[in-house]
Parts: sequence; structure tokens; C-alpha cells
Amino acid sequence: MSLISTPRRDVAWIGRFSALLRYGVLIGVGLIMLYPLFWMVAASFKPNHEIFGSVSLWPQDPTMDGVVKGWRTGTEYSFATYLLNSFAFIMPKVVLTVVSSVLVAYGFARFRMPGKQLWFALMVATILLPKSVLLIPQYLMFREFGWLDTYLPLYVPCAFATDGFFVFMVVQFLRGIPPDMEEAAVIDGCNSLQVLWHVVVPVIMPAIISVALFQFMWSLNDFLYPLIYLSSVGKYPVALALKMAIDVTEATAWNQVLAMSTIALLPSLIVFFLAQKYFVEGITSGSVKG
Amino acid sequence: MYDNRVSGYLYIAPFLIGLATFTLFPFLASFLLSFSDYQLQDPVEQARFLGLGNYTQMAGDDTFHGSLGVTFLYVFITVPLKLAFALFIAFVLNFKLRGIGFFRTAYYVPSILGGSVAIAVLWRYVFAGDGLINQVLVWAGGEPLNWLGEPAYALFTVVLLRLWQFGSAMVVFLAGLQNIPTDLYEAATIDGAGKARIFFTITLPLLTPVIFFNFIMQIVQAFQEFNGPYIITGGGPLKSTYLLPLMIYEEAFKYFNVGYAAALSWVLFLIIALFTIIAFASAKYWVFYGNEREDGE
Amino acid sequence: MAKGRVLLRGVTKCFGAVDVIKGVDLEIAPGELTVFVGPSGCGKSTLLRLVSGLELPTGGSIMIGDRDVTLVHPSERGIAMVFQSYALYPHMSVAENMGFGLKIAGLPKPLIKEKVAKAAEILQLTPLLDRKPRALSGGQRQRVAIGRCIVREPEVFLFDEPLSNLDAALRGQMRVEIARLHAKLGATMIYVTHDQVEAMTLATRIVVLNAGRIEQIGAPIELYRHPANLFVAGFIGSPAMNFMDGIVEAVETNSVSVRLNGATLRLPRHDAAVKPGAKVTVGIRPEHFRVGPTPADMDDDQAVEFDAIIDLVERLGGETLAHLRMPSLSDGVLVVKISGDVPLRIGTGLRVGIRLAQCHLFDADGRAVGEPAARAVVAA
Repeated sequence: MSLISTPRRDVAWIGRFSALLRYGVLIGVGLIMLYPLFWMVAASFKPNHEIFGSVSLWPQDPTMDGVVKGWRTGTEYSFATYLLNSFAFIMPKVVLTVVSSVLVAYGFARFRMPGKQLWFALMVATILLPKSVLLIPQYLMFREFGWLDTYLPLYVPCAFATDGFFVFMVVQFLRGIPPDMEEAAVIDGCNSLQVLWHVVVPVIMPAIISVALFQFMWSLNDFLYPLIYLSSVGKYPVALALKMAIDVTEATAWNQVLAMSTIALLPSLIVFFLAQKYFVEGITSGSVKG
Repeated sequence: MYDNRVSGYLYIAPFLIGLATFTLFPFLASFLLSFSDYQLQDPVEQARFLGLGNYTQMAGDDTFHGSLGVTFLYVFITVPLKLAFALFIAFVLNFKLRGIGFFRTAYYVPSILGGSVAIAVLWRYVFAGDGLINQVLVWAGGEPLNWLGEPAYALFTVVLLRLWQFGSAMVVFLAGLQNIPTDLYEAATIDGAGKARIFFTITLPLLTPVIFFNFIMQIVQAFQEFNGPYIITGGGPLKSTYLLPLMIYEEAFKYFNVGYAAALSWVLFLIIALFTIIAFASAKYWVFYGNEREDGE
Repeated sequence: MAKGRVLLRGVTKCFGAVDVIKGVDLEIAPGELTVFVGPSGCGKSTLLRLVSGLELPTGGSIMIGDRDVTLVHPSERGIAMVFQSYALYPHMSVAENMGFGLKIAGLPKPLIKEKVAKAAEILQLTPLLDRKPRALSGGQRQRVAIGRCIVREPEVFLFDEPLSNLDAALRGQMRVEIARLHAKLGATMIYVTHDQVEAMTLATRIVVLNAGRIEQIGAPIELYRHPANLFVAGFIGSPAMNFMDGIVEAVETNSVSVRLNGATLRLPRHDAAVKPGAKVTVGIRPEHFRVGPTPADMDDDQAVEFDAIIDLVERLGGETLAHLRMPSLSDGVLVVKISGDVPLRIGTGLRVGIRLAQCHLFDADGRAVGEPAARAVVAA
């Protein structure tokens, strides 16, 4: 009995120790990583002197002062304006990206045509092309169009599947789906557009949601493009408003700026927690399956 | 139906138009601009051919040399560290532990938010003179450091912001790890391989495609980092965080030297292209594609 | 009236540089259940997809009924198809799946509902109409896929390996259901399979395909009894026919004598177009060997016996496959099917008889030689 059970107990002990070690590492790293975020949220509800005065997370003297003043911002517009501005170009951007990416990906993934390999390779190459090499001529082009200080330069290119990453993502997803269903739909009398709408779109819905979510999130984070294209403060999105806030707010009003940052991150956080599986699927579909 | 070339081309037409208008044309235009003395405020017609002027100017431009050096330093520090850390955490997570989903989410959140201005702002305050980090240092009995004022520390804070976003690479590694069939591990165990041996002979080779993917993406992204340094340090102090994308932006939109900025952007492009080409060329020596799929369509 | 007739003339198909179908002429009579069978890669699925219109032929023409449909859209050919993966739309209910084609055709809703209900009743799917495909078993999905076809009231049903995703028991059951459905609807059906048992049991006629060409067309029993060439002989029948190399010794009016490894067989044949000295192949099906004393009803003239050594025994229960060495016939091992209750031991000897009339003879090019003159010999 004991001869058999001793090594087993050893194994169990090592297993438990290893699990403990893993949890230790995971929790430790997790805490260090997320602590700044907690600190930011907490600081939004602290008076300024407390932010500098104590490392404690919980506000001893909670106040809405930072949030209220932050929301009002130091400008003539409230934070609501900047949030709405962000959505004003992000929504068309997301819709156009989804529509164009799905159409183009369907063409690439399913149709046999001469030259397809070349175009596909070029599309993948655009993913790797640094944006700054295109930035200046694009700016000059949109200036010629008279589009400066409008949202057009921010979303019109998305109507033309310019984000190769999303096309690639949908293509990878489509390649994993046998075309039988689409052929059945052809026999049922669909043309290719009907096949796309009635069969392909419902089936690749998870990929479509991933595309929409990533584009939403990235556009919300986008800073450089609004920075060069928008000049009126009244049209600023959240990203520019925040940058402006740290430049104009008096150096000590940390709680206002941190409260604004917290609010700025809320849409992303909410969307992420509601739909995180699509993020994981989206980010892995391009790499693991291909 | 899928034999129909016309409809095939109709479907990819948006991409072809976009490729020509918003990618290929600007790409060539910036190449041409890089040989001109064009200033942002002038009408485009006034651009004058300058030959290699911008490039020779670069050779003698200390700001450029500094920026190039900082950029390489930034990329060479962040990419390997971020990949190694992402891989390490992915390994720790890739066991039958309870709460994997929770940790995966927790680690992924910074990647989702990390590129935002809000986080860069937060970073600025966390590393400020009386920010969180220094408070913790003092509380632990140490000396506060001038994180954003000392060149070496400033680069470190910007590097840290990128490392903080290791989550997306980790999620990809984790998916790659979970894609490795368990019967391979079982077969290796029966063959008498130890844990380290299994890692080096099975896990790592089968993970190389994912490592390759992450490597390329990280290299390309790191060379283009803009938001973090621009907002946290503005490129300073003493240009210690003045990455090339910052310099390109300032040359073009602050100093209006479009020609010079275009030349800089082409240098950045060539650097990234070179790294990508080397990576792809070397792939056949170290990336293992187990079940090659044919894409005969 | 040629409703339900399918006619292929000189049909070819290339994918890039690869010729998948190398010229097929075929007429399928109305109401027939024709099975395309052949090894994987023989082009049987491609041929079916050419009939369906999912692929367009590189050359030749296709007629369904009295219409030339070579370039007609699949939905207008009067065909319906059951896919190997069933290809049900995962986001639609059973009823929506079955009625989708009618909806696309713009039929009024009540009519669609009526037609779907009728088809559902034939297939006993009525209680499942509101379910999604993922809530169905494999057999039920299969029936929905068939239901989708019935609703379209096609001239021709096409089946692309419809049973290969089912387990063995269900496969047998669905096979019977398809046979029953064919009897009930009386429609033309084309059925692709690599499983020759399915082919033998279901088919009115079998088309054996190999490397993009038709090897033989005929009723199942005809292919079994009179394979036109070595390929069909080896493909139809399980376990496969035994082949032995030989050389023609003599050709007479009603027989051909073939020298095998050690023995000479005098095979009854007339009009055999071979010459003495020609290389030939003799084939015998495993079930045509006989172990034990020759039954009284057998003409001595036709039966020959040989010594065999047992190399390996596979017991299947009711019958046994014995792998035998018979040096007088061949260098290789011959498979013999015998009754399951015969005691056999590896390494021991055995007397095995064959009926010469049941032997097949093929020339050097693999073609069957002469008329199998069994009857003629018996009459003589």
C-alpha cells in the first residue's frame, strides 16, 4: 500500500505546488498590470491632494468634483460633444469597413479569376505597409478634395477595403467553411449576391462582428489621423480632446484629466466585456488558422 | 458560379479602387515628393525637383541620426521582450487551471486600450514626478526618480507602455498552444521525453508559425509607434523618445518640410520592408508548417 | 416525352492543366437510378457537378429532358441535389431550409408552406419543422437535405455521396429509405458513391468511372458477372477478384487454354481474339472457389481441383476469408471465401476447386476476352 501511495502523494504535492506557483505568477503579473487602471478610476473620485498624498486605492474623501469638471472640460464644449464627434465618424467607418471587407473577402475566398494571387498578395502587403509613408500624400490629396476639417478623410477610404487586415480576417474565416451550403443555395436559385446575403453573411456573422468590434476599438484609439485632418475644436473626437485637456488643464487638476480618461475608456471597456470572445476569435483567426 | 471572373472582379473592385487611390498612388507620390523641396503651405504645383537633396540632408542631420538610433533601440528592446513575455504568460496559462478565461481577459484588456490617448495620458501621470510609481517608490523607502525628465528613464516608460500591451500577442500564442494536439505530447511522453525536451522538440517547432506571425506584426507595429511617445513625452527629453514616426509628423505638419518628411517616411518604409523581407526569407529555415494546406482555387 | 432523361455527349472538364473528365457519353433513361462509382479522384463527383451545373463543362453538351442545359443556371435545370455534408443552412429552421428555393423563386408563402408540409410528411419530418439543423441527428439532417430536393419537384435528383457521413447502421437504413423513395417518386436519380455495396444495392444501372473515363455501364449483376475489363473486375465485388498471370497455349472454337504457374486451364470461350503465346490475366472471384468434395451436380469437365496451403485466415462469422498459396495457379496469395463452419488451420493443406466457366479472362490490355461461353460448353 504505502509503496504505491507515497510516490502518488509526491506527484500530487508537486502538482499542487506548480499550480500554486502558476497562480502566484498570474495574480502578481495581473495586479501589476491592472493596478494603473484601478488607480485611474479611483483617482477620478479623489480630490487632487489625495491623489498625490496616498498610495491607497480607495478614496478616503470621495468626490464627484473631478468627474463633473472633467465632463465640462476646459473648453466651450462638454465631453459629450467629443464623444458624439467620435461616434460621428466611427459609425460610418465601421459600417463601410464591414461591407467592403465582406464583399472583397467573398471575392477573394470564393471566385476563380486570373490575377487573384497577385491582388491577394498585394492586399497582404498593404497590412505590412507603414501608414506614415502614405500619410503625407493622402493629406495633400484630401486637401485637394477640400475635405480638410471634415470627417470624410477618416472614413471614406474604409469604403474601399483599405484595411487589409480585416479582409484577410474574413478570408481566413471563409476558407474554413466548405462551400457546399453556397452551392446548395445556387441550386435553390440564388445569384452570387443572394448567396452572399442569405447564406454567407449569416454563417460568417462571428467574423463580421469581430471586424466591427476591432474597427470600433481601433478608431476610438486613433489619434494621428484626426490630429492632422481636424482643426476645429468643435469637431474634435475624444482622443484629441484628451490631448488638448492635458495641454490646457492646470497642472494640478489631475482628477479631472484622469476622470476624462476613465470616461474615454468606458465605451471600449463595455464593448470588450460584452463581446470579448469575438476579439479573441478575431485576433487568432489571422494567425493560427492560416 | 464561382467560375465567373467578371463577378469575381466586381466583388474585389472596391479593394482595387482603394488600392489604387489610397495606397499605390500615395505610395508613389511620397516617393516623388521625397525628391522635392515641397512645403506644406504651397500649392502642389510649386514643388521643385531637388534630386537627392533630402537624402543628402539626412546624412548630415543629427536629429535624424538620433531619431534613427532611438527607433532601433525602441524596436530591439520592445519586440523581443514583448514576445518573450507574451509567450511565457501564454505557457503559464496553457494548463488546466481554473479561471484561465478570467486571466486571459485581464491580460488582454491593456492591449485593447493601450493604443488610446487615455492610456498615454494615464501613463504620463503614473510616471509623473509625484505620480503613482514615485509614490510607491517612496512608500517602499526608495528615492523618487525623474521618469519623464531623464532621457534613459523616459525611453523606459515608453517601452514599458508597449510591453504592457503584450496581451494580444499572448492570446495568439495561447491559441497556437491550444492548437497543438495533445496526443503529440502523450506520444512524446511515452517515448520517454522529459518536459524540457518536449518543449524544445514539440511545442516550440509547432509554435513557430505563430511566433513568426507575432514577430512580423510586432516589428511592423513597433516601427510605427506614435501615440505613446507623442503624448507621454512629446519626443523628449533631449529627443530621447523621438521615434521616426514622430519626426516624420513634425517635419511635415509642424515645420511643413513635406519633401524631407516624405524622404524620412521612405527611409522608415525601407527599414520595415527590409526587416519583413529578411523575416520571410529566413522563414523557410525556422518556421515549421506541419499540415500544408493547398490553396488551389 | 423525355422528361427526366439525362444525356451527356462528349463531356469534358479541365481544371487548369488537369483533365478531370476526358470525354463522357452517357444516356440515363427517365426514372432510372444511376450510380456513378469509382475510386476517389476518378471524376464521379465532378461529373455529377457538371450535370448539376455547379461546374460548367470544358467541352460537350448536357441535356436534361428535351432541353440543352449545358450553360443553364443550376436552379433552372430541373435538378435538385443532396450534398455529402448535407449543406443545410445552419441559421434557418428545417421548414425554411426546405422552402428556401421556393422563396427565392418568389412563390407565395402559403404555397411554399403547403409544399414543405407535403414533403415533410413523405419523410416523417413534420414534428421537426421548426428545429434548427444543429438540433437534428445525422439521419434527420440527411432527410431534411432530401426534403429540400423533393420540395423543388425536380426532374432529376442528384446525390453526392450522401451516406458517407453516417455510421454503418444508419447508412444501411438510409440506403433502404432512398431505395423506397426512388420507388415511390419514380424520378430519375443520379447517385455518386465510392462504396460498391451502395452501388450494387441501389442502382438500376451502374456507371463505373476511372481516371475521367467510363469503364463500363450496366446493371449491377451484369457488371458483376461480365466485367468488361480488369478495372471493373477488380473494382466490383468484395473482396476483390483474384488475378493470375498466364500465357495462352491454345485457342479452339469454344475454349482457350491458359498456362498459369503450374497448371493449364481450359477456359470455355468463343470468339476469343487471342493468339497462342499472348500474355493474359485470369480472374476468379473469391466466392467462386469451392472447398471440399465437388458437388454431384457439377460437370467434371468444368471443375478443376488444386492443392493449397493456408497462409492466413480471416473469420467474418458466417463466412471465412482464407488466404491461400496455390503454386500451380499463381506466385501470389489468393483470397477464397468459404463457409464459416469449415475448420481451417494456418499452414495446413487444402483441396480447392474452381469452376472454369466462372473464370474471367483478360488480354494484355486488360479487356475481357471473347464471349463467356459457359452456356455453349454446357450445351455441348
